[in-house]
Amino acid sequence: MSLEINGLQQEYEDFTLGPLDLSVEPGVTAVLGPSGSGKSTLLSLIAGFEAPDAGGILVDGRPLENLPPEDRSVGMVFQNYALFPHLSVRENLAFGATEEGDVKGTAAMLEIEPLLDRDPETLSGGEAQRVALARALVSSPDVLLLDEPLSSLDAPIRRRLRLELRDVLSNLSIPVVYVTHDQEEAAVVGDRLAVLHEGDLVREGAVEDVFQHPKSAFVAEFLGLENVFPAEVMKNGTEETVVDLGSSTLVAAGSPPDGPVAVAIHPDSIELRETTSERKANGNAIPCSVERVLTQHTDATIVLQCGEDRLTASVSRKRAALFSVGDRCQAAVDPADVYLTRRDR
Amino acid sequence: MSYADSVRRISRGEYGFGSRFLHETGVLALLGAVLFVYLLFPFVSFFSWSEGLSTGAFLDPAVLSAVKYSLLSAPISTAISTIFGVPLAYVLARSTFPGKVIVDALIVLPLVMPPVVGGVMLLSGFGQFTPLGGFLSALGIQLTDSYLGIILAQTFVASPFVVITSRSGFAAVDQEIEQAARSLGKGPLETFRLVSLPLARGSILAGVVLTFARAMGEFGATMMTAYHPTTMPTQIWVTFISDGIAATTPLVLILLALGFLVVLALQLAGKRVTFGSK
Repeated sequence: MSLEINGLQQEYEDFTLGPLDLSVEPGVTAVLGPSGSGKSTLLSLIAGFEAPDAGGILVDGRPLENLPPEDRSVGMVFQNYALFPHLSVRENLAFGATEEGDVKGTAAMLEIEPLLDRDPETLSGGEAQRVALARALVSSPDVLLLDEPLSSLDAPIRRRLRLELRDVLSNLSIPVVYVTHDQEEAAVVGDRLAVLHEGDLVREGAVEDVFQHPKSAFVAEFLGLENVFPAEVMKNGTEETVVDLGSSTLVAAGSPPDGPVAVAIHPDSIELRETTSERKANGNAIPCSVERVLTQHTDATIVLQCGEDRLTASVSRKRAALFSVGDRCQAAVDPADVYLTRRDR
Repeated sequence: MSYADSVRRISRGEYGFGSRFLHETGVLALLGAVLFVYLLFPFVSFFSWSEGLSTGAFLDPAVLSAVKYSLLSAPISTAISTIFGVPLAYVLARSTFPGKVIVDALIVLPLVMPPVVGGVMLLSGFGQFTPLGGFLSALGIQLTDSYLGIILAQTFVASPFVVITSRSGFAAVDQEIEQAARSLGKGPLETFRLVSLPLARGSILAGVVLTFARAMGEFGATMMTAYHPTTMPTQIWVTFISDGIAATTPLVLILLALGFLVVLALQLAGKRVTFGSK
């Protein structure tokens, strides 16, 4: 089973989605993007709630774009679950089931048998999420769509449920499109990532690959690489590139992309050193001063002023205790951790 | 303490009979009481008129005939209004189309214009000397001064109630719930029957009850289109003109009793809006 999206386009007064090409194989493709990037519109078009202005949607070669939602065999889990409030959980599941056995089997798979005789309004957020997923799966859809299914839950429950959700979804042998605006959630649940920005698909690939090579400043920033700066290429090589950030120079592994370049550094990749430390032969050591120290549970975020640029570094609490506001230090970054991306989106 | 806080504390039973609340909101209570007394006064004075009323007065042939025609027409008008009004309400709640504003306005119009004006318009469309009325009259179907005339008048005046309340009920149903039904293999009609209708049932029920009440009490348009056979409101007018207020008492009491039942039904319908009762 595969989902093919070819040249899909939908135009509104103030927003245009696409034209968009995306191939979704069995497994979870997390569609990631900020609010208003077109994620929910994409799901709406695949589910058939809206008709596209142009383009095609194929499931195993079967065109969907002219079919009504009920004939598409596309299951959907909505952001607020959209459970039928006038039906019990069992009746919700039976709504789309062809046989009673489907309800029992799906309820067992998602461990919701004790909830079957409850009313939806009595369910907790996590329970409602599992019931909504079960209801979508009970009709054995060819494609499953999930629209920010964890966004209405508290953070601790969300963190626990995304792992459970990952287990359930990874056992399905159908294409799953999982929409979220949370990059951590996308990384945990998804096998592949598709990043949307202002209606365009700006990056698509395996989760690891997209995180390692965001390829554009927007994707890098959106994926949580907080340190993204415009840069000028000073020395261009196949194995190493030297870039100028204005107030400092950096060495990055690999060659730069075409066009204007930006540099992205993950906060975890920055090592803080005393100013007296020796610079490694092939390393980057940017002179900085500590501007803020924000201590969390097990780690700390240190905000550094490096010339005109501001860097964010994530370090252990123990390490952070060595630095105070105003201290001079060096931000050391391995060239392999300096990502060169396109400056545009 | 804000007004809302006071209401919350009353609902928690923190005030004995709300005495402190009344004390704190004395001016508001006083203004409200003026209207309440004004509404109560006619009821009290009417019941003083009806003292000594014999049960025989309820068995007067004219009274019985009026009751019969009202009870035979109002449910039919309500049924017609519901069968055609609920789908219209759904379409208005869920779709946009050119001229929707005009459709909206036309539906509200019978509510805001005097019923007698509605009667004039009905006569101009269905009267015996109009093309349609004349054609049907030739076939033996009388649209005015007949049972059908009563139905026409009641439906014209009362149907907006069921359309407007049902529409607000459908609009309150989360569209994602309907989309969920579609994604689970149900077509638009099945989704309407299995999801939208049950979820809007409280509002629809309230609309049906209000439509029935309005149809039972319809006088202005009915008098124009079907003076005969007389319904209860028309008979009250006829009796008042010929015999005075006292003679109207039996029919007024029957209509008041029906009105009380309608209020009761409305309150029950309001409770059913919650999804607790299946």
